[in-house]
Amino acid sequence: MIARRDVYQAIADPTRRTIIGMIAAQPQNVNAIAEKFDVTRQAISLHLKVLTDCGLVVVKKQGRDHFCEAQLDKLSEVSAWVDQYRQHWENKLDALEIYLDKLKKEKYGNKKD
Amino acid sequence: METRKIDTSDRELLITRKLNAPVQLVWEAWTDPEHIANWWGPDGFTNTITKMDMRPGGEWNLVMHGPDGTDFDNKSIFKEIVPFKRIVYEHVSYPYILATIEFEDLGEQTLLKWHMLFESAEEFLKVVKTYKADKGLEQNVAKLDVYLSKMK
Repeated sequence: MIARRDVYQAIADPTRRTIIGMIAAQPQNVNAIAEKFDVTRQAISLHLKVLTDCGLVVVKKQGRDHFCEAQLDKLSEVSAWVDQYRQHWENKLDALEIYLDKLKKEKYGNKKD
Repeated sequence: METRKIDTSDRELLITRKLNAPVQLVWEAWTDPEHIANWWGPDGFTNTITKMDMRPGGEWNLVMHGPDGTDFDNKSIFKEIVPFKRIVYEHVSYPYILATIEFEDLGEQTLLKWHMLFESAEEFLKVVKTYKADKGLEQNVAKLDVYLSKMK
């Protein structure tokens, strides 16, 4: 099975979402990130690898440090999907609106108040 | 170290709409199974409501019939009913959604606030990702056309 590497997989995990939140404002050292979690350094590295593979994080080497930088543009892909799903519900309300018009006509006919 | 947040912004959706009908009529269109079957569901679908017991704990069973003949069972449980004001239900079949619909009386108009809360951000993303929005949209336009021609 080929591992899925897209923005959804990146943010499907709470730890990865927390990491993105941590580095959203400014890049952080890998060690500094790992220290904030109760899991092993390896586990964090793996999460960072997924985030990198998905294009949400870029790791930049500065001397002996590895800084993680968030690439937030990628997240707009998610909001585009959310917008489409929202549109589905907007459509439901469109249908309700049309139906209400029909109901009004049936109930009150065309008489003007 | 995960802290439980009360912030639900990553798993909720709020749709508001000012409807051009008094609240009594909007309530009727929402709560009468015969009416709701006429507008509910994705575009191109028809609906059969087998049960709609509008009281707290009451069941609501709605079957959506897809354009290709596939049936989709939707089971919900009503949590709260405040006539002409508020409906809260849990969609207990997949995907789990806690929906709150608020009706605000604006005289000849009604402000409808439709809030949907998903179980988790993961589920929410799964739903939005798998939702075939463009296909649905296409069908809806067709449905709208039919409605409009009937009204002429």
